Parts: sequence; C-alpha cells; structure tokens
Amino acid sequence: MPELVQLLTPEGERVEHPDYALDLGAEELRGLYRDLVLVRRVDAEATALQRQGELGIWASLLGQEAAQVGSGRALAPDDYAFPTYREHGVAWCRGVDPLNLLGLFRGVNHGGWDPNEKNFHLYTIVIGAQTLHATGYAMGMQKDGSDGAVIAYFGDGATSQGDVNEAFIYASVFNAPVVFFCQNNQWAISEPIEKQSRIPLYQRARGFGFPGVRVDGNDVLACLAVTRAALQNAREGNGPTLVEAYTYRMGAHTTSDDPTRYRLNNELESWKLKDPIERVKAHLSRTGMGDQAFFDALEAESDELAAHVRKGCLDMPDPEPLSLFDHVYAEEHPLLVEEREQFAAYLDTFEESTAAGSAR
Amino acid sequence: MADVKQFKLPDVGEGLTEAEIVSWKVKPGDTIKINEIIVEIETAKSLVELPSPFAGVVGDLLVDEGSTVDVGTPIITVDVGGAGGAAVPVEEVAPQVAEAPGGGSESDVATPKDDEAVEPGLIGGPAPGGRTSVLVGYGPRMTSAKRRPRKDAGATPRTPSAATAQQAVQTSMMTTPTPVTEPDVHEAEPAASAHGRTVESQPDTARALAKPPVRKLARDLGVDLAAVTASGPDGSVTRDDVMAAADGSLGSRAPVARETEERETRIPVKGVRKMTAQAMVASAFTAPHVTEWVTVDVTRTMELVERLRTNREFAGVKVGPLLVLAKALVLALRRHPGVNATWDEATQEIVVKNYVNLGIAAATPRGLVVPNIKDADTMTLLELAEALNQLTATAREGRTQPADMAGGTITITNVGVFGVDSGTPIINPGESAIVCFGAVRDMPWVHDGEIAVRKVTQLALSFDHRLIDGALGSQFLADVARVLEDPATALLW
Amino acid sequence: MTQITLARGVNMGLRKAMEADPKVLVMGEDVGKLGGVFRVTDGLQKDFGEDRVIDTPLAESGIIGTAIGLALRGYRPVCEIQFDGFVYPAFDQIVSQLAKMRARALGKVSLPVVVRIPVGGGIGAVEHHSESNEAYFAHTAGLKVVACSNPIDAYFMVQQAIATDDPVIFYEPKRRYWEKADLDETMTFEQAAPLHSARVLREGTDVTVAAYGPMVKTAIEAAAAAAEEGKNLEVIDVRSLSPLDLPTLQESVRKTGRLVVVHEAPVFLGMGAEIAARISETCFFSLEAPVMRVGGFDTPYPPSRLEEDFLPDLDRILDAVDRSLAY
Repeated sequence: MPELVQLLTPEGERVEHPDYALDLGAEELRGLYRDLVLVRRVDAEATALQRQGELGIWASLLGQEAAQVGSGRALAPDDYAFPTYREHGVAWCRGVDPLNLLGLFRGVNHGGWDPNEKNFHLYTIVIGAQTLHATGYAMGMQKDGSDGAVIAYFGDGATSQGDVNEAFIYASVFNAPVVFFCQNNQWAISEPIEKQSRIPLYQRARGFGFPGVRVDGNDVLACLAVTRAALQNAREGNGPTLVEAYTYRMGAHTTSDDPTRYRLNNELESWKLKDPIERVKAHLSRTGMGDQAFFDALEAESDELAAHVRKGCLDMPDPEPLSLFDHVYAEEHPLLVEEREQFAAYLDTFEESTAAGSAR
Repeated sequence: MADVKQFKLPDVGEGLTEAEIVSWKVKPGDTIKINEIIVEIETAKSLVELPSPFAGVVGDLLVDEGSTVDVGTPIITVDVGGAGGAAVPVEEVAPQVAEAPGGGSESDVATPKDDEAVEPGLIGGPAPGGRTSVLVGYGPRMTSAKRRPRKDAGATPRTPSAATAQQAVQTSMMTTPTPVTEPDVHEAEPAASAHGRTVESQPDTARALAKPPVRKLARDLGVDLAAVTASGPDGSVTRDDVMAAADGSLGSRAPVARETEERETRIPVKGVRKMTAQAMVASAFTAPHVTEWVTVDVTRTMELVERLRTNREFAGVKVGPLLVLAKALVLALRRHPGVNATWDEATQEIVVKNYVNLGIAAATPRGLVVPNIKDADTMTLLELAEALNQLTATAREGRTQPADMAGGTITITNVGVFGVDSGTPIINPGESAIVCFGAVRDMPWVHDGEIAVRKVTQLALSFDHRLIDGALGSQFLADVARVLEDPATALLW
Repeated sequence: MTQITLARGVNMGLRKAMEADPKVLVMGEDVGKLGGVFRVTDGLQKDFGEDRVIDTPLAESGIIGTAIGLALRGYRPVCEIQFDGFVYPAFDQIVSQLAKMRARALGKVSLPVVVRIPVGGGIGAVEHHSESNEAYFAHTAGLKVVACSNPIDAYFMVQQAIATDDPVIFYEPKRRYWEKADLDETMTFEQAAPLHSARVLREGTDVTVAAYGPMVKTAIEAAAAAAEEGKNLEVIDVRSLSPLDLPTLQESVRKTGRLVVVHEAPVFLGMGAEIAARISETCFFSLEAPVMRVGGFDTPYPPSRLEEDFLPDLDRILDAVDRSLAY
C-alpha cells in the first residue's frame, strides 16, 4: 500500500504528518462529523427513493463522504467547485439544498441550482469534461486578479480521458489556480484502477510538471488539510496540484449496477473496516468531544433531513411540456418560436392537456 | 399516533396484471425498515421479492399465501406513525446498502442467478412503473398501440400561426441596408406580409399556384394554369379545375363551339383530342406501317365463350371473344417475342420487353383512350377476364388514369363492336404492333370439306417494319389465328 | 471607404470588438505571436497583450473547454480552430457542453463563445484542411451557425457574433480570404444587416440560386454567365445557417418557382436538404420543379489534384439550373 497522508487512523487515533499540520477544535470536529453523518443519510434516503421508483437513478457516494466533506470544507466562499455527478457531499458544503440535487436524478431537470449562487457548477455527466471548464475558470480568476481558486473533481476513470489530460496541460502551462481533486474510489463501473493507470495516480502530475499528493480519502482531517494546502498553493500563484484521495466506492456505480458481477466481497469487507464516519465517531467518543446527547441529537436531525428530502422528492412537480423550448438560446430563435406554437396547437387537439410521457 | 399506510401490489414489470402471494416474510407486529423484504410473489415470469416502501410496524397481512390478486390490490398495512415516519436508521443503512443486491457471500463473486429472470432493480430486471431497469435512468416503458383521444375528429391544424411567428421575428430582423459591393443589394423589406406566411394565401398575379402533379397535368393537357379558376386551398388550382378547363370532347358537355353563319362549326382542339392527334401523327410518320389480314373461323372460340359463361369460376365476370383473343395474343407473343418490342431511335437499339402490357383501345366519353393491362402474360384466363372488365368499366366512366395508359407493349383495337370487319390501325406510340379485331359474323365457310355456316371474323395486324419483317409478322398473326380457330392449340405451346 | 480583404475584415472586426469590451479574448493555436496561419489575428497580441490574445497548447478540446470556463467567469472568448478538419477533437465540448449548458442551467449561465473556423476547399491543400462540417453544428440545438462570404460581412458579422450571448460557430471561407471589397468604417455593426438574415445579392426571375460561404462568389459568377444565355437568376447569400432566414428564401421561390441550393459540403444530409424540405413544405404550390442541390460528392474530400472535379463550380451550378428549367 503506497504512502498516503493520514491524520486520523481508521481506529480514530490522531496522527501527525510533517507536511500537513491541522489544528482543529472540538466544535470544528463535531461539525465535520455532523457533515459526514448528514451527507450519508441523504445518500441513503435517495438510494431508497430510487428503489421505489421516485428517482430514475441515483449515484451513491457511500464510502466517499470524508473525501468530499474534507475537501469541500477547505474551500473559501469565493472559491469555485466543478463537480462530476457524485459530489453530493461537496454540494452540501457549498450550501446546496439536497433536494436541488434530486431534480436531475428524478428527471425533472438537468441540474436544479444556480451555479453562481453557490459557486458550485452543475453536475457534468460527460466524464472529465468539467476539468477543462474548471481550468478555464481558474484562468479567468487569474486574469481578474482574484484571490479565488478552483477545485475540479473527477474520478479515477476520468484520468484516462483526453479532456482531463488537456486540462492538466493548460493548467500547468498557464499556471492556473486550480486544484485537481481525484477521488480514486478504485472502480469505474466495473473496471478497476489497474485499467486506467500503471502507476499511482498522484504520480501522473509529475509528468505534467506540477505536484501530486495521495491522501487517505477516508480521512476527513487529512483531506481537509491537504486540500487547504493545495488551494493555498494555487492562490499564491504556484499553479495546480493533483490531490488523489484514495477511497472506495462502497455502493454500486449507480443504482441498477450490480457490483457482485465484478468485484469480490472480501474487498468490500476490508474497506468497511476503514469506514470514514466510524473513525471520527470513535475519536469523538474516546476524547469526550462527542457525548451521547450529541449523537442522539444528530440522529434526530438526520431523520428530519431524510424526511425533508423524501417529502420534497415526492412533491416535485413535473416540468410543463412547453418548457422544452425554454432557455435553449439567449435570443429568440424563429425555428423554436414556430415549433413551440405548432406543438402547443397540437397538444390542444387532445382531450387531456398533458402529454402522455411523464416519467412515472 | 398511528399513521397506517397500505401497500398495494405494484406492477413489477412488463405490464403485469396480477400475481400470486407466495410467502410472507413478516408478520403483524413486526417492526420493519424501508426496503426490508416483506413478501415473495410469483409473476408470470418469475418469483419476485418486494421491498417495503415504508418503515414502521406491520399491521395486517391482507392477502393469504397462495392467493392471486390484481395489481393495485392492497396487500399489507404498515403503521408508519410515531417512529420518525419513513426515516431509515443510520447504522443499518451502510451494511444494508453495501451488500450486493443479490446478498453478500463470504468469498467469491456471486454468480448471477441461473434462471432467466433478472432481479428487480438490476440491469434488465423489472423496475417500478412497468419499466425495465437500465444503468442510467428509469428504463424503457412498454407502450400500447392506442391513440390518445382528440377533441374533434380530424382536427389536425395545418401549420397554423407559424406564419405569425415568422412575421414577428422578421420584424425584429429589420434594419437599414448595408453598403455591399456586390450588385443589386436587396433591402431588408419592412413589409413582412409577403415574407412571413408559410401558408400561401396571396399568389402573385403573374403566377398561379398548383401542386406539381397538377402542373404536369395542365401541361400535358395544354391548359394554361393562369387562366384557370382556382378552387383549391390557399388559392391553388386543383386537378378538377384543370380537368374542367381541359374539357374538349366530353359527351354531353360539348366544348364551346362558335357557330358562324351555320356553314361551319369550329371546335377548339384541346385536351384528349389534342393528345390523340399528337400520338397519331407521331406514330404514323415515324414507324413504317405494314398491315396484314387473316380471316378466321372462330366457331370453337365462341363455343368456348359459351362454356365459360356458364362456368362457376367465371360467375359475375363478363366473357367475350375479346378475352380469348387477348389470351391468344399473349401466347403468340411468347412464341414471337420480337413483336413485343420497340424501336429506340436515340440509342439505335431494339428493346424487347420481357413483360406484356396489353392495351385495349377504348372509346370513352372523353375520347379515344388506350389503357393497358399490366403483366397480362402472367395472368390466368380468369384474371385476364377480370382485368378486362375493370379496364372497360373504368374507361366507360371516364376515369382512366395516365398511369393506366403508360407503358403498353402491344394493343388490340376492337372495331367489331361497331359491326366493322377490319382496318389498317395505327400503332400506339412506343409499341410495334396493333391487332384489329373485327365483327364475328355467321358466314358460309368450308368446314370438313363441306359448306357450313360458321362464325367468322377478320384479324388485322399492323406492325412496324423497322423491327418486324413480314415473316415474323405473318407467323405471329397466324399463331393468333390458330388459337382462335382451335383454342386447344394453346395446350400444345 | 477602405479596401480590405476578407481576412483583414475579420481582423478589424476582432480589433473593434476587443476595443469595445475588455472581456473579449482571442485564443487558439498560433494566434498570438504568429498572428494566425492566415494572419487573421495579426497584430492583436502586440496591442492587447498576452493576457487577452492567448497562444494555446495544441489541444482543440482544451481550447473550447477552457473557453467555456472563461465564459463562466464572465469573459467573451473568441476561439480559433486552425482548420475545419481539426474541429473534431473539440466536437464533444462543442455539442455536449457549449450547446447545452444554458438549457441545462435553465438560463442561469451564459456562454458567449465564438468559435471561428476557416472552412472549405479550393486551396490545393492536403487532407483535413478543406472540410465543410457546418451541418453537424447547424443540427445541434443551442448553437448558432453563420458563414460570411465577403469582406464586409466578415467585418460586421464577427462583431455581431461576439456581441451575442449565444455560442456561435463562425465560418470563414478560406479560399476567399484574399477577396477585396470597400468598407465604410463609419458604420457600426448595429447598423449592418442582422446577423441571422439572408441577403438577395442579385435579383432575378427565372431561378433562385441560394449559396453561402465560399460558394457565393461562384453563384454570382454563374448568374453572370447565365445572363448571357438569357436566363435571369436570383442569387441569395444565405449567411445564417442556424437560424435560417426562411422568409427571404420563401419570398424568392414564390417569385421564381425554382430553387437551386449550392454548398461545398456533400449533398447527402447537407444544408441543402433542410432548405429543400422546408421550401417544399411551405412553397409547395409555387414550385415548378423540385428543389435542386449542388454540392460535393458523398466521398471523403479528395487529393487536391481532384478537388476541382469534386467541388461545385459555375458549370455544375448552371447544369442544375438547366435541369430545373427543363421541368
């Protein structure tokens, strides 16, 4: 097992790392724990909703909570994040209501929040495409003379995509203030990391001329510390860093994937022992920073949040058929004006006003 | 406080209508979690486990094991009130969700089930709402072959206000002209009225509006579109409009004749008359015509006709000697395919047709038309009879279509119906031979060495001597005659 | 009045746009120091600096992808794809991201990116430098696609494209880069003909010939030759491929009753097919003949020694005109 930066062992013990100091108070630690628990709870609820046909699919982040919360909480308000489609934990840190994430998976929109309001870009489904957008955005920040930095999320599979490699090139030659945060969860649907790279992913950065670091992706403290350092590096004008968060996709790629077809159960079992939330709980309990009252209150809050998500999901209205034609262009397009009118007239010839094709 | 929910039997896939409750996995009073398996049902395809959409306490099992119920029937009640509604306890979730849907085993990769059915929720397996599971969304749905009910029957709007839409945008696209070095710059016209309409309601005075086929018809009939009164949609000229204008020699609807001092009557040459004249001239002055005659004893043919008239298969079908002649012609062509050909002056080729489109010249209210029976050589006698009937009836009603008249390879002209014996028919352009069929008369004839009264007729064959020499023409005509004289000859060929 | 070439027209238009708005950037391979392989961006980096005129790495997807990021940050990037045949690596960024992001975000983001592409053949080039791929982009909802044919349009249309908030694929006919025309520099782009309008270049009565980009000049020459035969052709420069200015085409066809569409791109599924379908549908009663299309053959672009057989020329256009008139 290659070296990785760790500040909290799976058993919940604090350890030091020479390059990454982290000084967190009890309040902050409890805050991180709360983030982890709530993020996992929303994820579980969404998974259940999918099984019940309320969502078309769900991409579960189970097992990756620490990588996302740790890096998400390292961001300053003016920093900008470019996620893939699984960063519900980062969305949480950016203040995006979990319900807004569900719209995409329910099929009522392609992304239900204003990116500029939360400095959190919409989910990008094309693998790796967002890393170029992130790099361009960072180049823009550079031109503005802004203090901000950008974080680009992507998975181990994405590192094989041309766009990700082009992003590495652009970011390095232009010295763009972007942190490339790779969640290596070991699997790209059914293909293991060995199919994507011969060498540990963080070492790829060297070939492009910028630093790479591997961090324990299940250790929220290490992820926080390493991401903070990388962002600072970017802010100071030193260009990009590749952070490889070494973690595991405990669930399926998406809800109808069947991982039993391609991976061994004992692998899963061994990663359960490294659970990101368990170690923090253990640490809080052992140090007395978290007592039973705290855990109970958090459980109640989880239930409430889950109920909010469930209700909100079931109440989500389907978009109107004519909204198909909205927002395609900034300026009015005669063809769309014509098509919309014709379609409206056509719909009007039916007894029932809505088209038959709803997602149910 | 209790909040009792009912779980209704869902359609787990493929438009299921009912299922049998095989075994309950929970009992009243059990506390269950969301997604906990509560029952096993049997569908037409497989055994399916159903997960609970509720968490709470099981109330009643509403259906007994072994019963079959319809989709939508409530099968279990669950009290979800009190314990946080539908919340999923945290500690349970991680292991539960992490387990492979098929159930985790200690070591090996679990192999997919041996039977054909895929687990609900897995790729290819049943998904809620009657869909089939896919990796990236709800999955495909079964559709039914039924239309949605509409308000008025046939209320299909025809590109309605697309015009106004275009108009609106056109006004937004206007500006003063640019100085362009290319010649003849056209101003972006503020008058959007002519531009915007997808529907053409204002034809330029110089140009008539008509569908392409109607334009062609007008041209073929020599009708000037611009002079025709248009009665079609959007001010267009219709086919009927053109036909009405073309009316040259229609029976009771005689063309307007200007009478001048009763010594002459002038009839404008239009329509069918014009086309006929053109065809005749084209044929007569291009192909060197030779005509040969033969007189035939057709008594046996007439006897055959009688027998066919009483034949059950031919019930309702008009049968006459023309039918037998048509058949004889087709058979003779098989022996002399060179007659079923045409002279291609442009390519300097003789084109032998491998099919017989048999034309029958017909006098109709509109004039002379020559519709043909397509692929007459592939028809049985009955089919030929029916085709002849059809052709005649259509022609009589004046409804013969241009397509019916195109592509003929040989023609019969029946002058016998007028009581005439024979003639020198003009070949139909595009063909190389035409048979003239005379009246069938009782005539004195030598039969078995003695004078007898027999049914006798004359056949004349005009042919194009560029490609058909006397020998060929004669042999062909002789063969036709042979069949008419003794229909049994056909059996020999 | 100043005489300018088409390349200079784009150059001057870019300059004007950059002067007017500090957010306008130019980016692409060799656009900075070299001034572009056709010198279209000549002098811009010297005057506006490396921050605004950017020589990018040799990675087309990267050009478009980072341009999207820059646009999200409030810039107005004008990307150059060096040759038509090299746009394909960027195809995904263009059709999956550039075209769709506004709709994906329900209007909350704007991508005012212009992608300039020198298009078409007739320059005796090796493979991949003579493509006509406008149909792929015109077929993609969310993109606007325009093609200038002459220096004056080049000058005004590039400014208009930069000013619009929609992503625009901007085709420049490379074989016409050195054609000259007189520009009235006092005119602003707001006063010029709208970006998405077609223009009647020559009025006529017998047949409408519609062309765009490099074929416009060929169409005008064909009309001159036809005039000597007593045929009076109306020539239209289509200019905007998406959206199409259908009303201008319709008005012309209702007058002449015949239409020939000309483009370098292969005929099968080219712009001519869309125009033919729409005109057939909306001008059915006016048509004397089916809409004819003249275009490249449905083969890969040939070696340069064969390109003049491949590309439509004056004779092929007039042959189509004759066939139309024969109906």
